Amino acid sequence: MRKNLYNVGAILKGLSITFAFMFKKKPTIEYPSVKKQHAPRFHGLHELRRYADGKERCIGCELCSSACPANAITVIGAENTPEDRTSPGERHAARYEIDELRCIFCGMCEEACPTDAIVLTPRFEMADYRRGSFIYAKDRLLVPPGAGLGPAPDERPNGIPSDLGRVAEVKSTMDIAQGYSATNRGETLKTQRKGLAP
Amino acid sequence: MSSTPTQPDLVHLTIDGVAVEVPKGTLIVEAAKTVKQEIPVYCYHPKLGPAGLCRVCLVEVEGMPKLQIGCNTPVSDGMVVHTQNAKVDTGRSMILELLLVNHPLDCPICDKGGECDLQDYAMAYGRGSSDVADAKTSKPKGVDLGPTIVLDEERCVVCQRCVRFDDIIAQENQLVLKDRGARDIIATATGEPYRHNFTGNVTEICPVGALTSKTYRFKSRPWDLQRTQTSCTQCAVGCQQMVDVRSGTPLRTMSVESDDAISDGWLCDRGRYNIGFYASPERITQPLYRKDGEFHQIGWDDAFSLWAKAIKSSIAANGAASVGAIGGGRLTNEEAFFLQYLFRALGVENLDWRAGTQRQAGPGASGGTYAELERADAIVIAGESPAERAPVMDLRIRKAVARNGATLIRIAPAEGTPNVACIDVATVAQAIEAMPSGAKRVALVWDGVDLQLGAELAKAASGWAGLRTYVTGEQANARGAETMGMLPREGAMDTLAMFAAAREGRLDVLSLFGVNPVLHASDAAPTRAALERIPFLVVSDLFMTETAAMATLVLPAKGAFEKGGTTTNLTGDVLPVNQSLQAPESALSDFEMLIGLAQHFDEVALPTSEELDERVIGLCAKPPVADGFGAGRYASAAPSRPAPRPSDGLAVVVHSAVFAGGGTSAHDERIASLRPLPHASLGAQDAALYGLQSGDRIDLECDGVLLRDMVVAVRPGMRPGIVALTGGLPGRAANSLSAGARARVVNVRKAAAPVGV
Repeated sequence: MRKNLYNVGAILKGLSITFAFMFKKKPTIEYPSVKKQHAPRFHGLHELRRYADGKERCIGCELCSSACPANAITVIGAENTPEDRTSPGERHAARYEIDELRCIFCGMCEEACPTDAIVLTPRFEMADYRRGSFIYAKDRLLVPPGAGLGPAPDERPNGIPSDLGRVAEVKSTMDIAQGYSATNRGETLKTQRKGLAP
Repeated sequence: MSSTPTQPDLVHLTIDGVAVEVPKGTLIVEAAKTVKQEIPVYCYHPKLGPAGLCRVCLVEVEGMPKLQIGCNTPVSDGMVVHTQNAKVDTGRSMILELLLVNHPLDCPICDKGGECDLQDYAMAYGRGSSDVADAKTSKPKGVDLGPTIVLDEERCVVCQRCVRFDDIIAQENQLVLKDRGARDIIATATGEPYRHNFTGNVTEICPVGALTSKTYRFKSRPWDLQRTQTSCTQCAVGCQQMVDVRSGTPLRTMSVESDDAISDGWLCDRGRYNIGFYASPERITQPLYRKDGEFHQIGWDDAFSLWAKAIKSSIAANGAASVGAIGGGRLTNEEAFFLQYLFRALGVENLDWRAGTQRQAGPGASGGTYAELERADAIVIAGESPAERAPVMDLRIRKAVARNGATLIRIAPAEGTPNVACIDVATVAQAIEAMPSGAKRVALVWDGVDLQLGAELAKAASGWAGLRTYVTGEQANARGAETMGMLPREGAMDTLAMFAAAREGRLDVLSLFGVNPVLHASDAAPTRAALERIPFLVVSDLFMTETAAMATLVLPAKGAFEKGGTTTNLTGDVLPVNQSLQAPESALSDFEMLIGLAQHFDEVALPTSEELDERVIGLCAKPPVADGFGAGRYASAAPSRPAPRPSDGLAVVVHSAVFAGGGTSAHDERIASLRPLPHASLGAQDAALYGLQSGDRIDLECDGVLLRDMVVAVRPGMRPGIVALTGGLPGRAANSLSAGARARVVNVRKAAAPVGV
């Protein structure tokens, strides 16, 4: 009995550590109703952007797929026709697919893209039940036509952009300080985000 | 080096500190290759020679105040050349800056991006920036130059390789440089579409992305492609080619520049562009068995046992003479060998490869090489033009005539004048007269069709000095099939005899491998009648051809890109066929089919693959059989061209067209515009007689058979009294009129305006 009383002190000492955490700031959040703010340059799910006039930025050049260290991107180019002009210039991506399970989210595709078409957003929630559903095609990667950004390269009388040197200028429309506001999903995410400002 | 005795034709010079000796007259670019030093070039091409237009090949020659162009400066004794130093680099970077002044730099969307000389040299020597502040000139992009080629005028650096190719190699003289200064563009002189049989080569020699192929446009980037070298099996020339495949689809083929012995580094448009059929949804994918008049899909096991059962019961009932096999001309050597091995092991001797009009493939003992053809003093062409039957070989003939001064004599040509000077004669006797007296090396090119003509030629050729013979066939591996033994021996039936026996009901089982006699034999109606009478007709093919549609058993075969082996070209070179593609799941190669069939015959001892290779190589290595044209083994065939029946009308002549024969080009819509129209070609005299002009549509009637809706083409060089029809065109089969028959022109429908052809 005496021996048991002797242990009370040790129990109180242990519980004091436990109770002390009740007064500290909680690191857990109520995910998914509350979402955490990521680092401004977090690399998440991709999106394919458009110009303000709704044309796709992607020209199907496959530089992203050749830069990809994980071999996750497949691009098949096709020709624009005067009746069906998907992107400025002559070429667009008929198929654009990213295997998000293979992707290592390094952002090399974004670096390689000459027209700033492919960007990585902070969106990271891609859970699904089937492996096949992680292959994102244009239907899920492309932003809606209304969510275009920046002026399209000048069109010539024959419908061809003057030169890709304009890309640098277009690139400057993206404000680094604003982080991912430049992307459609970044914008959506901002409105979805609750509580916990950085 | 100084100790070497000086030969008069050798020049000693120093390139980058290395002493070299090269023949007199060598250009610095070529001399530099001996010390493994690459000098950048755009306008220079080893096959086209120097032009001195692009100036990028600048080198420093000691003692000369300014940089010299390496491509047009011949070496001289004691010359000291520097191909790499600061002065040279500055010069080249200046040139590149000028070449790039108006270049759009749209490399990301350019088909050449990744394999572009302008890109590579700009990386190696360019400055990376330009002092030119003005806007680049704007020129049309994506200009439709013809059925095969797209021109991007902005990317062009005006090296004129394409113009010179058209002028020197193809000698078509269609492309020219239009306008001057910054506005100069490549265009056809007449404004007509750029169209001949070798257009695709300009996309390969174009050092930038100005000229690109329509079929490959924006399909892929070079680094996606898996490359396999193989031999083209679309005609008997045997050009080496690179097949570029992306995820199981052949996207393009390229020539092999070092292939001097056969293709000289060029490809014809058929070899280059007729590759879309491999991915055609119209391919047969399952063995089909006809039951109660309808095809049913069956498995391979059932197909083999039905086939074996038919052969067994036929041999048991009516003897081995009631079984036959035709094929081999479109197979590999190994397949052709095993085909005759298996059937001969079963006692079947009715074997032949000759399913079309061609009766002979071997050129006899004096068969020549392409290099010898190029060096000939006189070239005699008899029968069909090699321009359509063996196009790349025809480039050698054009070279021999236009550049080496050979005399070209054509005997009874069906088509108009070729684009090189020629003497047209009607008979062999006239050809002997026309032969220049001093000719030391004579080349004789025959189409292998008319054996009587062949015999006459052989007689005439015995008087010609330095004779070299060539047989341009319609089937790619005809010579290989012959070497492998796919010819009937004494007493056995050849194709025509087999068909005659079939019409009498004496042939029970006939197996056809990759041949379509209904479309290609000289006379369609009797061929069709023969095949209809055969109780068990087996056809192995890629597509449901006219012949396959009549079969009892149709077997899905692999194409040439989908299997390996060897092939023999018309000069007797044994060439590798390498697999570059995966075949559709249930297609088998003819070899695999024959193995499957052989499993059902226990008495046949199958050779091991080593034994097979040994036998094939042994047969290939044998010296050619010495029989001449139309003699020996071939003479047993019935006369292929019956004497013309005297009646009113035009004599029908069937000639080949590159994109018509073979039938596979009908299964790719991208090359639809290349397929020949159902032309009825007439001489100017006949056209005037019937009141026809090019573009009119006529029907031809002959013995009650009506060939509808033929398009008239008036060719001024043609002989009077004949009408030439393009053979092998599905739907408008010229062979439905019997060869040598006389056709009457009926139902003339005038075109609104004359159409150029």
